[in-house]
Amino acid sequence: MIVAGCDVGSLTSKAVIMDDGRVLNSVIIKSKARPWESADEVMKAALDGAGIAMNDVKYCVGTGYGRDKMKFINEAITEIACHGRGARWLLPTAMTVIDIGGQDCKAMRLDRDGKVVRFMTNDKCASGTGRFLEVMARVLGIGLADLGEMSARATTPITMASACTVWAQADVIAHLNNRVPIEDIAAGVNNAMASRMAVLANSVGVERDVCMTGGVAKNDGVVSALEKLLGVRIKRIRRSDPQMAGALGAALFAHDRVNGGSR
Amino acid sequence: MKEEFREASAVLENKWVKKWKEGGGKVVGYTCSYVPDEIFYAAGILPYRVRGFGAEAMTIGDTYFGPFICSLPKCMLQLAGQGGFDFLDGVIITPGCDSMRRLDECWRKMGDDAGAHMPAFHFHFGVPHKFTDYSVTWFIEETRRLVAEVERHFNVTITNEKLGEAIRVHNKTRLLLERFDAIRSQADPPISGTDALAVILAGTTMPRDDYNSLLGELVGELEQGGERLAGRARLMLVGSASDDVELVRLIEGDRALVVADNLCFGTRFYSNLVNEEGDPVEELAKRSLAHNDCPRMYGEYRDRLNRLINKAGKARVQGVILQNIRFCDLHGSENGLFERDLEKAGIPCMRLEREYGPIVESGRMRMRIDAFLERIV
Amino acid sequence: MRKETREYKFDWMLWTMFDAGAKIKKGFPKEYSHSLNYMPYFRGVIEPMLATGDPGQKFIECCAAYLDNLVHSRDKGFKTAITTFCFSPAILYAMDIVPVCLEILSVMQTLTGKRGTAEHLDYCNEVGYTETSCSSQRGSLGGYLAGNGAEIDMIVTDTPGVCDTNANAFAFAAAYLDKPFFSLDMPPELNGVRSDAYHLGDFRALIAFLEKHTGKKLDIDKLREIMQRIQKQDELVAELEDLARLRPSPMPVTFNFMVHASRFLFAGMPECTVCLESMLAVAKENAAAGRSGLSSGVEKLRSFWCYIDHYTQNLRLWQMLERNNICYQGNILSRSWAANAPHVKEYGTEAAAYELDLSTLDSMILGMALLNSRMPMIKSIRGPYDAKNMWLEDTVNLAKLHGADFIVYNGTPGCRNTWGMVKMFARDTEKAGFPTYIMYADAFDDRVESWEATQERFEEFLTVRGLL
Repeated sequence: MIVAGCDVGSLTSKAVIMDDGRVLNSVIIKSKARPWESADEVMKAALDGAGIAMNDVKYCVGTGYGRDKMKFINEAITEIACHGRGARWLLPTAMTVIDIGGQDCKAMRLDRDGKVVRFMTNDKCASGTGRFLEVMARVLGIGLADLGEMSARATTPITMASACTVWAQADVIAHLNNRVPIEDIAAGVNNAMASRMAVLANSVGVERDVCMTGGVAKNDGVVSALEKLLGVRIKRIRRSDPQMAGALGAALFAHDRVNGGSR
Repeated sequence: MKEEFREASAVLENKWVKKWKEGGGKVVGYTCSYVPDEIFYAAGILPYRVRGFGAEAMTIGDTYFGPFICSLPKCMLQLAGQGGFDFLDGVIITPGCDSMRRLDECWRKMGDDAGAHMPAFHFHFGVPHKFTDYSVTWFIEETRRLVAEVERHFNVTITNEKLGEAIRVHNKTRLLLERFDAIRSQADPPISGTDALAVILAGTTMPRDDYNSLLGELVGELEQGGERLAGRARLMLVGSASDDVELVRLIEGDRALVVADNLCFGTRFYSNLVNEEGDPVEELAKRSLAHNDCPRMYGEYRDRLNRLINKAGKARVQGVILQNIRFCDLHGSENGLFERDLEKAGIPCMRLEREYGPIVESGRMRMRIDAFLERIV
Repeated sequence: MRKETREYKFDWMLWTMFDAGAKIKKGFPKEYSHSLNYMPYFRGVIEPMLATGDPGQKFIECCAAYLDNLVHSRDKGFKTAITTFCFSPAILYAMDIVPVCLEILSVMQTLTGKRGTAEHLDYCNEVGYTETSCSSQRGSLGGYLAGNGAEIDMIVTDTPGVCDTNANAFAFAAAYLDKPFFSLDMPPELNGVRSDAYHLGDFRALIAFLEKHTGKKLDIDKLREIMQRIQKQDELVAELEDLARLRPSPMPVTFNFMVHASRFLFAGMPECTVCLESMLAVAKENAAAGRSGLSSGVEKLRSFWCYIDHYTQNLRLWQMLERNNICYQGNILSRSWAANAPHVKEYGTEAAAYELDLSTLDSMILGMALLNSRMPMIKSIRGPYDAKNMWLEDTVNLAKLHGADFIVYNGTPGCRNTWGMVKMFARDTEKAGFPTYIMYADAFDDRVESWEATQERFEEFLTVRGLL
């Protein structure tokens, strides 16, 4: 039976089409100004790619900050529950999930059944989110994807103001003006990010295995800094793009529903 | 009838205040539940709890307060600077917390700069942070000092008889609100937390005799029954001062009900009666200072925890929302302890840090509350 | 907190560092320079400290002795009490209790650690203590909450009524660690019969609490001995403050820091007297020679700090002042409100001062209560900033007394109290003729504003205001 999950975030929107627990297609796009437009577009792309019509989808779960605005869904579930569920599917041994999205980040601890028992999200400031890295990469004049690789070549990472994105930006500019190697700044940026995440993760209590979802999971600099701070190895997700975890979780909840299960 | 409460809770200069002023009455504002408002009742003055809701900008608040300050007193200052409290004839500031007590200087300096908006009567009321024989002695004297200053400034006489009468009237409110609490604790109660907060808040901004009669009617009606709110998750709301019914509305949505609280603008305002025997000033001071619900009373955490556990049991709550305004370290930190200890006692909790003022991040808050409801239901 | 951080107790690590620091200058120069390599993050502090000669040496020894008492408290038969810088430790010493002064330990941690206080700060947040709370306590409290420090018997503070975030740190610690707690409470007015009675009643209750939790009676002779030393120390501080009025000021920039730190650690104890005497000797020598205490010998500007310093790594604040030939004319921490202090006499603030009468137990307890109620911060930020004897009056009078060219505020974003008034306060100090700079940095945490940014902004202020 075909089901779908749709996750509209602040920066990207994702959709997953699933048939009997098997992923038929997954798509990620940049989010539009209005969440329902993002939802329509990403869903259409996912369905088209799988050669399936919306009518064939038996159940669809929406998640992400635009979850209540989607017209085609049967149910909205929070991204906390969806990321937990998706992460557990991607890594069946996951007990702690750290998700860093575009404008928020969260840490979740799961029980044996994959249900979220504790979670924390960042406060409203953008520091400690994907947006923070994006701003810093722009100031450094490098691609977001290069941040991780660059920081691996650092010799003396800088300490930077990390409580506020605006001040951090001023700091990075000052270091650039002082001719501090860009690698050291990049490492400082990643360390700052990791240390904010470590506080969230430790607040919910870290239990192994730990995995990361969201776009920042692809930044090796942040992941390895976080491993050092938490003193655990973070299991890499290989089964799918870690950014898809929320949409996957939503599709898995949809799968449960059509199979008569509750969450 | 609920409209009456709604107006008194959501309009700064509500119709009751207007009517009072038109009749030549005086109004004195205060910022903290440790101020015994019986004194003003006895003086024929309307006591009015200063509020912060409805401030849309922070231009004045940010001019005087620094950046790392709770947004509640900033909003109060903003409203004051916009003339929102020009109807006040006096204001009492207490060291309730550091952000709030600096409202004293901020309001005065803003008043100097603007040449307006500063009530003529101004009093710094020193409330101790502990309940001991010597702190009670201090506080009785401090309360006498307040009585004397009110008498002098407003040219009134506050007799013991008048204070005794005021205590009886205010105790009546407290007993009515206790019954109101019991109604909220019922299974599928006939009133939402949003409306309940409006009812409680109205008591701080309208004349007490009118309030008692309205409240008496409401409680009577609700005790007879009414439309039940069924199928909702039962929550308790704990933490920083909250005088904005919109926050409760956001938390409740259509899936939850706030059936109990420990808020300064909520149950703390009416818990415990004043002893009607004995010297009225002494009894007022003792009742106020014996209150240790606020984390400003340092070292009393265990008491507060036990009270919460009892309350949660009585109201059969399924979860507790531990909220604090950013920079409110007293409630924020105690929420961290509550979370640890309430979860240990099997009561699910969620911590929520927020800004006071227009609710600008409702999407994020909604998500967290929904995730919490997904967990507990 | 990293696993490796938990391998050794943090206060033990501090002790080994300061203990080694107290010894390295005693060997040959080559041994000294070689040893510095083993303290890579501390050398930026120890070198300039020891470069001040005997005072620096005595000060590091004083810190080492304090930490020795702390980490060996059990062996030495002492109890331990977590406490705050503005709580005079004299009464604790009189009861054989080692004061575990959180703010001083935070400073030590930020001065010596590679990552400064960051892990302790974050650990507090992880166990539920707000991140907006003051970093001055969090910087070491995290270690104790994590069980990564000396064993703690009780918690005492005196900041309710003065500073919520401070008082809250201790109340949180007591609840979290489940330890006995006592707080002295401060009424909004400093003076008057009611305030005196309150201070006294409260202090008597404190003594009862300490007696209960140590199982000892307060020893009157020991208390008298300690108070005699306090009298001596007050005289020394008064003399230092008087010398600082000279032009050029004979006080090296780090002296102010050493004056207050040694008093917070050892008020009423011989270690503090030794430090103060050593500083006074140098200051007198400089004064006699008409020499500036600055290492360049040239005094261009005189700064008055109306609140606290900036402590993160390598004494960079003091280095910056040295580099710009700015002398340091004190801050809120170094002030003594003994009746013989020069500013008390000069500005007629006798009512705000304390006097110690050692004739009877009652008079001594009253003296201690009043001394404690006049500790830094406790005295001057309890009431409205513009009230008599409060922050503004103190600051303007002291800045005048010390011939300051400008005033600087620095604190932490956790300081709800001063951030609630500092904008208006600065407006008033400007009106009184002092260019005033508000720093937005965190004295204990570079992650709020990096030192580079802090320095740049500070120097920009000096330039824009035409001071440099």
